[in-house]
Amino acid sequence: MCGIAGIIYRQPEIYKNLGNDLLRLIQPLETRGPDSCGVGVYGSATQQLKILLFAAQDVSWEEVKHWWEKQTKVIEFDAIANGRRIILDTTDKPLNLAQIKPHLAISFPQLHLMSTGQLLEIYKEVGTAENLFQKYQLNNYTGSHGIGHTRMATESIVDTFHSHPFTSAPDLCIVHNGQISNYYKLRFSLEKKGIVFETDNDSEAIAHYIRYQLLQGFSLEQSLQNLLNDIDGTYTFLVATADKIGLVRDKFAAKPAVIYETPEMVAIASEYRCFLNLPHYNPNAKISEPDAGEIKTWSTTNKPTPHLELV
Amino acid sequence: MHQTIPQQTLIDCTNLTTREINQKLKALASESIPTVKLLNPAGRHNLAVGITQNIAISIEGPVGYYCGGLSENINIEVFGDCGWSVGENFMSGNITIHGNASANAAASAQGGKICVLGHAGARAGISLKGATIIVTGNVGYGSAFMMQQGCMIVCGNAGANLADSIYDGVIFVGGEINSLGADAKLEPMNNADWQLLEQELSILNISAKNYNFKKVICAKQLYHFKAKDWANY
Repeated sequence: MCGIAGIIYRQPEIYKNLGNDLLRLIQPLETRGPDSCGVGVYGSATQQLKILLFAAQDVSWEEVKHWWEKQTKVIEFDAIANGRRIILDTTDKPLNLAQIKPHLAISFPQLHLMSTGQLLEIYKEVGTAENLFQKYQLNNYTGSHGIGHTRMATESIVDTFHSHPFTSAPDLCIVHNGQISNYYKLRFSLEKKGIVFETDNDSEAIAHYIRYQLLQGFSLEQSLQNLLNDIDGTYTFLVATADKIGLVRDKFAAKPAVIYETPEMVAIASEYRCFLNLPHYNPNAKISEPDAGEIKTWSTTNKPTPHLELV
Repeated sequence: MHQTIPQQTLIDCTNLTTREINQKLKALASESIPTVKLLNPAGRHNLAVGITQNIAISIEGPVGYYCGGLSENINIEVFGDCGWSVGENFMSGNITIHGNASANAAASAQGGKICVLGHAGARAGISLKGATIIVTGNVGYGSAFMMQQGCMIVCGNAGANLADSIYDGVIFVGGEINSLGADAKLEPMNNADWQLLEQELSILNISAKNYNFKKVICAKQLYHFKAKDWANY
């Protein structure tokens, strides 16, 4: 078991609730997965590139800053717990993230690139949701949408980097409940296409698969449809992009999902009781379950204009 | 704490653990209290599980997983929706849900009757072992999978792979069947079937005649391995 949750707002006036709503939504799911908790949130858009770095061990942040300054112009370099949120100016000199990642890993092996994009920020930790939200002060986080996960590790180790969400491209992340039974086959076929895996968690393959589909020019909806045919196993997962959240339930409906819809917002969670925990719970909300093999997507009202390539 | 007002025992679930609620229900049943009302269930799992003495429990609101599971001789009414596996391994008595049920409703239920007055999700009546399950709405994918005994009545539509790998028992579907699973077959309805449906559904003020009921049973082709079918494996 694992717990997944997601929120997407239909009215910009309530974007300020995102942190608190997501915490309240994910907290009851700790009983489904007490190992770790993580969120991927889409906050204030920067026209530049936002990068979140986390250090597994001590690192000289001065040296890290200096390293980035050699790549491009650094606008911000903010401390957040044992990490840094960096805003880079890439207007004059576009960064090739795929190229830059191996260099960063060689120079600073203790660093982990958590997320990249104009909007996306990923925070994940071993332990409870409450700890995670306090550590990174996410309770007052403002944003249009976000997804969350509580993990019960089944097939790979319990640490921050094997926790969800998994990302594979700027502004793209997934949270997954289930197992991928053709994982090795899928991984080999993606690796043949040049994709580099960072963990041995099967859920990471979903993120890479979706990125590869999008790179082929498929829409998010079509990519998810292809995925339903190519990935075997049990999965209910949420995928978030700069302006959308998608939900996929496998053809056997083996893993749960419940959808809560009001004129203000859509929330998705593994269990119904999560919605009762929402601070502005609406008893008249439409509550439904996706069918076996069903795909659903929701869009934010404000469409950002991503200029980043889906490298 | 439970308080007794005239003819009504109330338990407010808000500040109790699930274990405390179930222990209270067992204690009340052994005191021969006829009816109990549970307030504020808030989608909580495992309510009224493992109760074995006669008692009527009315639950005011939606419940989580396994409601009424493993219980005997009890009468549960849920005024709200319920989560996975309502009445799993139910032994005898009645469970009535005034709402929808999620996946695995009445899984492995051995006896009694489980009645969903709404829709049921995937795998309703999975591995049913003798109970009766009635769903007045639709049932989802893979319902009655590996059913072994008992009766399933669906007034609405059935999802794909109905009665896959069924051993025995009977299923009636009033609406459309998306597809039948392995070793399930349609069987013509007879008078006894209509009588049974009329009897079961008239209690719910539903006339069986208003639906185009179809009967699904086991084709019994997978009962024995036949050497001539070797090529199929």
